[in-house]
Amino acid sequence: MKTTRTIFQDGDHKWIAIVRDPEKPNHLIDTNEYLITHGGQGMLLDPGGAEVFPAVFSALSAEFDPSALAAVFASHQDPDTCSSLALWLEFNPAMRCHVSWLWRGFIPHFGGNADTFVSIPDEGADISLSGLTLRAVPAHYLHSSGNFHIYDKTARMLFSGDVGAALLPPGEDGLFVEHFDKHIRHAEGFHRRWMGSNEAKRRWCERVAQLDIDMLCPQHGAIYQGEDVQRFINWFDELQVGIVNG
Amino acid sequence: MTTALVSAARKAPQAGVDLMRIVRINEEIKSVVNVAFKINIMALNAIFLAKRAGTAARGFGVLSNELRVFSQDLRDCMSSLTGLVHACVDDVSRMLQDIRHTRLLRQAVAMSSKPEVAAVLAAREVENERHAQSLSGQRRQLKRALEEAFRMVELGGVLAKSAKIEAAYGQSFAVPLSQVSSEFDGVVEEIRVSLESLRHSAFFATK
Repeated sequence: MKTTRTIFQDGDHKWIAIVRDPEKPNHLIDTNEYLITHGGQGMLLDPGGAEVFPAVFSALSAEFDPSALAAVFASHQDPDTCSSLALWLEFNPAMRCHVSWLWRGFIPHFGGNADTFVSIPDEGADISLSGLTLRAVPAHYLHSSGNFHIYDKTARMLFSGDVGAALLPPGEDGLFVEHFDKHIRHAEGFHRRWMGSNEAKRRWCERVAQLDIDMLCPQHGAIYQGEDVQRFINWFDELQVGIVNG
Repeated sequence: MTTALVSAARKAPQAGVDLMRIVRINEEIKSVVNVAFKINIMALNAIFLAKRAGTAARGFGVLSNELRVFSQDLRDCMSSLTGLVHACVDDVSRMLQDIRHTRLLRQAVAMSSKPEVAAVLAAREVENERHAQSLSGQRRQLKRALEEAFRMVELGGVLAKSAKIEAAYGQSFAVPLSQVSSEFDGVVEEIRVSLESLRHSAFFATK
């Protein structure tokens, strides 16, 4: 079973990280899911693949009523982000899935019907969660061609999908980045290969550098906090991406 | 492992095997449909041949007309069988998805302390049962349709054999008429053998 860690709280406004399942089979990439709660409603960010659903669900349900999940957000179309969609909809068929307009015809292959999906335009959009405004920030081509991150201005938290991801070896899989230089080695290969556009990367760095961010929360690996957030943005800005050896 | 988990574990390979079996049935029916189309052309040729042979092949001509009607009926029958097979493929595929979802929901229930989770699982199982019943109904319908097709083909076999007898009375046309009627007989027998094997497919052994 995964564990939950509340990484931000102000009254009933919370960010809960659902992370690290010691029983997860090794052939599945490890994922972080994040639950934002506000006013009794919840939105799950990149709810995960179908095979990790039991572990995510049980961890989430220990903290929150799953039938009160008003929405899920899919940063992009990959199966590890949202192939569990049909299972979440079993608990709340009225739940909505916010996703780039580009994937609106693709993600329904994971489940849902015409009413389930809310398209996000390329320039981004505000998503309301019981009065809390969350901003879908464009991150196209990082790595998916229709890609968004979620910024919570009130909590100063950024969910950054695959940006900031690291493939951590056993024993170095703490929830937060502790030694940036040591940690970033596990992120470098991932970013060089998965991120396809230097231009898109530069735009993203410029965009998020203007945001007040206390924590940058990727879908894989550890969370950057404090000064490590800007350190990561600077590192990413300098990195040449879209490179494959061979 | 709980009884429910054991039951789900057994159902998964069964549904997979069912899918393979129904795919084989579909392939066999596709080959029968091709042969049925060939019969239609053969029957047309036989009708023309009987007309050229005149009064000596009147009986053969009547049988050729009947064989043409038979070939059209057979095509209709195969089209309906194809529809039923596709419905079975849909149902088996849905059951495979049900099995996966149910397995994952069961794991979630086992790991969760929330009572409402069990209610969602129960609703999922009711839906699974509805899908299983649908497949069971489709399976029975397909079996009945195959039996009807088999009876029709047996009748076609009788027509082909009668045509062979009538061919002998075709005087100077006896040899070509006999050749045509033998081809009929061969093709109808080919279809009969195919349908016979389909009737006994293990797909129908499952309830």
